[in-house]
Amino acid sequence: MQTFTMVLEEIWTSLFMWFFYALIPCLLTDEVAILPAPQNLSVLSTNMKHLLMWSPVTVPGETVYYSVEYQGEYESLYTSHIWIPSSWCSLTEGPECDVTDDITATVPYNLRVRATVGSQTSAWSILKHPFNRNSTILTPPGMEITKDGFHLVIELEDLGPQFEFLVAYWRREPGAEEHVKMVRSGGIPVHLETMEPGAAYCVKAQTFVKAIGRYSTFSQTECVEVQGEAIPLVLALFAFVGFMLILVVVPLFVWKMGRLLQYSCCPVVVLPDTLKITNSPQKLISCRREEVDACATAVMSPEELLRAWIS
Amino acid sequence: MKLQCVSLWLLGTILMLCSVDNHGLRRCLISTDMDHIEESFQEIKRAIQAKDTFPNVTILSTLETLQIIKPLDVCCVTKNLLAFYVDRVFKDHQEPNPKILRKISSIANSFLYMQKTLRQCQEQRQCHCRQEATNVTRVIHDNYDQLEVHSAAVKSLGELDIFLAWIAKNHEVMSSA
Repeated sequence: MQTFTMVLEEIWTSLFMWFFYALIPCLLTDEVAILPAPQNLSVLSTNMKHLLMWSPVTVPGETVYYSVEYQGEYESLYTSHIWIPSSWCSLTEGPECDVTDDITATVPYNLRVRATVGSQTSAWSILKHPFNRNSTILTPPGMEITKDGFHLVIELEDLGPQFEFLVAYWRREPGAEEHVKMVRSGGIPVHLETMEPGAAYCVKAQTFVKAIGRYSTFSQTECVEVQGEAIPLVLALFAFVGFMLILVVVPLFVWKMGRLLQYSCCPVVVLPDTLKITNSPQKLISCRREEVDACATAVMSPEELLRAWIS
Repeated sequence: MKLQCVSLWLLGTILMLCSVDNHGLRRCLISTDMDHIEESFQEIKRAIQAKDTFPNVTILSTLETLQIIKPLDVCCVTKNLLAFYVDRVFKDHQEPNPKILRKISSIANSFLYMQKTLRQCQEQRQCHCRQEATNVTRVIHDNYDQLEVHSAAVKSLGELDIFLAWIAKNHEVMSSA
């Protein structure tokens, strides 16, 4: 009986020791080898750009890589075991991940991260409250107002294809009507209004995101002024003077050209001095029809000259 | 004097009710991000349609042949088809390729959002289901049941462009329905 008890005791002790020895590696592993999961997950979302951030896991002398997975509301309701690897963050180094390309519907998304060092991976750390992109912070858009002559032109910040802009502009005078224009995309100059000289115009803008049905606040109002009548008057004066000059110069020119043409193609025939008839006696060539071959040159007196003329 | 006040008050009330009603109608618009859904589908269309083992059969045929679904039925048909995809098609299809899985997830979650939007209309009694609309969706479910479930799911996924084109064509109608 005693032997049996002793044998039992020995077996029990052996079992206990075996169990204890088996536990040691597990305890050691718990203390040294398990990688902690990333903590303090949060999403910073501005203008539909969503950034998942977490506190980094530090392992001395080692580079820690992180993997991100997401699950839309559809997956969490219908296929809860399915998590989809993030487009850009499978084994990324920094403690943040741009999940903009993953969050593509306006529903709550679950996000989770784990750390990897060598062959070790940590447990998954899940974002506490699911993220819905309709909670994004919308900032007023940057805008540049320019004057192109009398044209009021606006160029808005390019925020991507999901953004449209509502531009409000008015003439800065009491009781002026506010106009509203919808601009489909930023980065392109858009004509708002042709301004009247001497007036000031003010502009402000806000963004609209159709996917979440929300508007940002309006930007700061910017005003521009167009120069008064001084410039147009000077221009008018110059124009008038120019016109008068043209009125005078062109006929003169035409007349001069006419005279030139006349001289060059149809000159007036001027008799040379030697052929001109004067009071003093001169040489005359008289030819009668009967005397064709004999042409006499004679000096006549004025009375004989007259007689010759009459006959 | 009193009669004038009463009639003005009545007119004001009617106008107010009409504007409230109009605001509700605008909520039925499913124009939210349709471009993105179509883009996502175009990227995976060829891969999905290549897996279709029954090319001579269509599941959404009733949408093509019924070129004009009456405006009153558009909301109900849309609601039923969204439920068809969300409750049956996406669940029955197991996609191993992560790139395609991402796009399908994007479309599925967008459909979920569209369902929520339509439910708001339904609460305001603007999405009645008449017999014609119910018949259309029943035919589609019957077509789906005639095929083996995985083949049916793949085929229905491949026919998403038919559904998306139908929504795009009819959503203007819906907004005024």
